[in-house]
Amino acid sequence: MKPSNAIGLLPFAAALAAWAIVPIYVDYPSYMLPPLPDVWTHLLETLADGTLAGHVLNSLGRLALGFAVGTGIAIPLGIAIALNRHVADTLKPLLTFLQSIAGIAWVPLAIIWFGIGIGSVVFVIANTIFFATLYNTVIGVQAIPQALHRAVRSLGGKGLSLASVLILPGALVQLIVGFRTAMAYGWRALVAAEMIAGTNGLGYMTIEAVQWYRTETVLLGMIAIGLIWLVMDRLIFEPIERVTVRRWGIVQR
Amino acid sequence: MAGTLTQAPPRGLPWSRRLARPAKGAAGILLFLAAWQISVPLVGLEPYFYPGPADVWTAFVDLMRKGILPVYTVDSLSRYSAGVGIGIVAGVFFGVLIGLNAFASRLLSPTINFLFAIVEVAWIPIFVIWWGYGYKTILIALTYVVFFPVLYNTLIGVRTVPQPLINAVRALGGTRAQVLTHVILPAALPGIITGLRVGAGFAFRGLIFAEIVAAKTGLGYLIFEGAQSHQTARTIVGMISVGVIWLLIDQFYLKPIERATIERWGLVTDAEQRA
Repeated sequence: MKPSNAIGLLPFAAALAAWAIVPIYVDYPSYMLPPLPDVWTHLLETLADGTLAGHVLNSLGRLALGFAVGTGIAIPLGIAIALNRHVADTLKPLLTFLQSIAGIAWVPLAIIWFGIGIGSVVFVIANTIFFATLYNTVIGVQAIPQALHRAVRSLGGKGLSLASVLILPGALVQLIVGFRTAMAYGWRALVAAEMIAGTNGLGYMTIEAVQWYRTETVLLGMIAIGLIWLVMDRLIFEPIERVTVRRWGIVQR
Repeated sequence: MAGTLTQAPPRGLPWSRRLARPAKGAAGILLFLAAWQISVPLVGLEPYFYPGPADVWTAFVDLMRKGILPVYTVDSLSRYSAGVGIGIVAGVFFGVLIGLNAFASRLLSPTINFLFAIVEVAWIPIFVIWWGYGYKTILIALTYVVFFPVLYNTLIGVRTVPQPLINAVRALGGTRAQVLTHVILPAALPGIITGLRVGAGFAFRGLIFAEIVAAKTGLGYLIFEGAQSHQTARTIVGMISVGVIWLLIDQFYLKPIERATIERWGLVTDAEQRA
């Protein structure tokens, strides 16, 4: 790090120092902001007994399941909408309306249908990821040049071979860009859904701690939610996007 | 995100084709409603588990007659506009500050990046601990959601102002304040509007979530409370209201603002990139 950038660490240092010093001089209920050492010990405890790892794994598993269900429905439907005008005209207004009902508004209904727990949470994540992926699939397939369609068709490609030779590879770049957006929305939906309808996972851990005023757990949950998303986005999705866009993308530079 | 699937029918098509498109769209919605209504007796489940369109309509009329739906809608919208308003002002202020001042940029950028990574839903529990269940928590959460996209896009707008424009105004005797109001803010406006659109979308989701968790009125509360008390038709009325209101906000508020600003002040290349 350049020395000129080190100044950016000042606010962090100031915040940590204030967090360490203020409780000594100001009297306030400790649940409002537990002392720094307490949060640290709590982190070590939950790491040692595996509760934090358990919640993280549960959350990630649900995200993966919701992602698989959401994209599994969205990609075929998106291809159908992009290729067939009748399907597009019939479904677009309905889908636009359903899309405008934010995923999180489905949670209470999902609880009635699937009960508190994994079913409701996965339903809401899949719903959120479905719409983000659908939009990008339609855009991606529509962007394939008409000439390529004609070429593959005139060589006898149709049905599955058309899909595997032209449509999926042609839409791939846009799909991967879409996956990254979908994950950003999906992660928010996951945390929110776990807070309302979860029985475990990071969102549940965080909101449950509010009931008992265990603020150190709330803080840990927040930081874990931020860090995991940052790691997923920057270390997994951004590199994949960069590599695909560079290799197959039609990027004008 | 919303509204992105719709397109205006292309001009120059024959009338029959131009009418065919909305007709097919309406047919799609009617088919959906019909299938839903017909499936109710076939499925034969309790109405609280699977209410039909008729039940939803009865619940809607009931909620309107008792005045609950209008009051909750006004509550939600007033929270929303207050939060979005404060978020825009704060976001533009810090965006201009960081964009113009290299020291502020070095000092604040890492903090802002760190805070941005913690998604807004994760803040709501600690806000509840600090400010309790209610208006203050929701307002702060919404402000937080809007603040970051506005700040980022303002920053981009401010940094892309061509230096010759600033030099020209200065050379003609303009003060620094005049540079700000006549050059930098107008140039950053398309960025600010982009930030507003992104932030407004996230904030609307955030509003519903915050009302589910931390409110006793509003559409999010209606959705949650309906399900809790097994009045599922009310939940669905709430969900439909949320969808309709978002479409209206997007169509009649955000899109016109965006069009007007980009037409008036936007650089064309910029608008094309974002289209």
